[in-house]
Amino acid sequence: MSDLRTVRTGSFSNIMSTAGVYGIAVLFLALGALLQATGAIGNFLSPQNMLNIVDAVALVGIVAVGMSFVTYSGHFADMSVPTTMGFTGYICIEMLRYGFLPALLVALVVGVLIGLLNGFVIGKFRANPIIWTLAVNYVTMGMIRLIWANKQIYPDMRGSGEKAIALFDAIYRLRFFHLIGLPLVMLVVLVIIGQFVLTRTSFGVKLKLTGSSLRAAKLSGIAVERGIMLSFVLCALTATIAGLAVTSLSRVGAWYNGAGYDFKAVTAIVIGGMTLAGGRGTILGVLGGSLIIGILNNIMTLVGIGTFSQDMVRGAIFIIVVGTNALSLRRLGRDDA
Amino acid sequence: MRRSGRNSLLALGDKYRIYILLVVVFTFMSLFAPKFFALQNMTSVLNAIAMNATVAIGFTVVMICGQLDLSIGSVITFAGVLTMGLQPVLGFAGAIAVAVLGGAFVGLVNGLLVAKAKINSFIVTLGTMTLLQGSIYQFSGGNSISVSTDQAFAISDFLGKSLVPLVTPRVLIAILLVAMVELFMRRTRSGRNFFLVGGNRSTAWLAGINTDRFLIAAFVLSGVTAAIGGIVSVLVSTAATLNLGENSLMYVISATIIGGTAMSGGKGGVLRSVVAILSLEMLYTGIILFGLGNEVKIFFAGIILAYVVLYEAYAVYRHEKTLGQRPELMKELAARTAATRDRKAGRP
Repeated sequence: MSDLRTVRTGSFSNIMSTAGVYGIAVLFLALGALLQATGAIGNFLSPQNMLNIVDAVALVGIVAVGMSFVTYSGHFADMSVPTTMGFTGYICIEMLRYGFLPALLVALVVGVLIGLLNGFVIGKFRANPIIWTLAVNYVTMGMIRLIWANKQIYPDMRGSGEKAIALFDAIYRLRFFHLIGLPLVMLVVLVIIGQFVLTRTSFGVKLKLTGSSLRAAKLSGIAVERGIMLSFVLCALTATIAGLAVTSLSRVGAWYNGAGYDFKAVTAIVIGGMTLAGGRGTILGVLGGSLIIGILNNIMTLVGIGTFSQDMVRGAIFIIVVGTNALSLRRLGRDDA
Repeated sequence: MRRSGRNSLLALGDKYRIYILLVVVFTFMSLFAPKFFALQNMTSVLNAIAMNATVAIGFTVVMICGQLDLSIGSVITFAGVLTMGLQPVLGFAGAIAVAVLGGAFVGLVNGLLVAKAKINSFIVTLGTMTLLQGSIYQFSGGNSISVSTDQAFAISDFLGKSLVPLVTPRVLIAILLVAMVELFMRRTRSGRNFFLVGGNRSTAWLAGINTDRFLIAAFVLSGVTAAIGGIVSVLVSTAATLNLGENSLMYVISATIIGGTAMSGGKGGVLRSVVAILSLEMLYTGIILFGLGNEVKIFFAGIILAYVVLYEAYAVYRHEKTLGQRPELMKELAARTAATRDRKAGRP
């Protein structure tokens, strides 16, 4: 357990706890292989299916990496992620007629602005993070439906150039060596940057104290407001990236494009060993959590469990993981949630 | 501390802001919105809030305990689907009983996880919300369930017909529940204990209150009232649609906070939440009557919620900033230094 408050903080135990998450991921892989061996499901181990898993993991993982910062800072989750994803997708498509790069830039700026707003209100005025981000989620939803009059928009209906549309399509479809998709590359880059920022920079260390005890952080002279604001901005930024990828995948701007990503990301974060009380966990663990979710979803789909029943399983797993996590922390006397 | 007249007036306005808001919205819409001030419109406004008013009862009690129940929306739909789905097997009485028990069970699970396992209520109810959404689709096969027997239509007619002008049985059920819980919360010792638990859990525990039991009771109540809201609603429409409770969460959260129930717990009231729901519904009805679309309504609902959250947070922020400051002493000091300076300069 990586924790400043434990008596011994070894990097060994750190590695072990992260390895545990990947151990579970491997177990799920083995489960899939076993199911294939018994003939319950076909071609789980095929390269194409592995690619499917990785692609699905990439989108959830990108959102989860950003949201980890919010969780780490002790603010649970950012519920405005779904409409941030939808909204920035709309904006990018709308702006495509001015070229691909300007569209990308405007979408990212809008995403960052939403994050800044969240971070400012929550960091400065200590508004309840859940209710505030929910409110922002609804406002953004209303804005999408007001501006675009309840309509979905397609990249080729705004008179945008062929090249811009092709580039936009490539956000999700570009594959290096016909194998590794761009979202996966972005995920890997984001995980490396995230892990580095969280463990090796003063921002990360300060964020850990902020998440562990806001009062202590404040009294020791840390600019907690700035840290919290930055973590919400990072969350909105990754949500924007994932939103653009999802919009590129579906080739349509729709208000429901990001639906469900908030809960999937929180589940990945929790399974990845980041506690919701804040200040504990690693980005590598969160990546493992996303992997577990991806493999589990894939197995459930192959077995023939419908999308909605998958929700049921995910909800149950989420509650069980959080429950056991809280109980084991309490038994160790480390509970401060 | 001496209070100036303006401050106490502001405080009074803040205390009764929800009633003031109701009067303002009502007056404005009556004057300007076409067809707003009519018996038929008023009846439909009351009918429209019946469900959310019922749901707000339990939600407010949970919030008074300092917790949050995000699962109410799914519980509404869940109870509605259960009622309509089980009716052919169990009859209406049996199906309704199962649906209410189902709501209570969800509340019990939420409460146990929050009180005993000590998990943050937002997380717990986010989980049960997702779990329930899955179960709803699993149970209903993804379609809305309607019952078209004579009995179902008879019940629907009865619930929707005015007893006296304005009041239909479905509204009456909501009014009775609100009155009961409001009186219970204000007038009985157990009711007031909820405020203590929400205000300061360890103090309440030290005072000999079984805090866990009150937390669990609050969540069970929330599950039951959400279920009742859903049941009455599907009985009126004789069909359980899968998006029945979709908008209720935002609606009820906004109303509860606007009504003055503190997000940190320990303060608030059921009646105030319901008055807030009435005001919001009048506002939204007005928006629709002005000929604006549903998206404008969603936008306004979000803006209102955001504004109120910001306002509350800012009030706490200001309070903490000025904690321990004595403005009148500072003023006196300033006056005194000015006087000394004048004397030193030799002026009168």
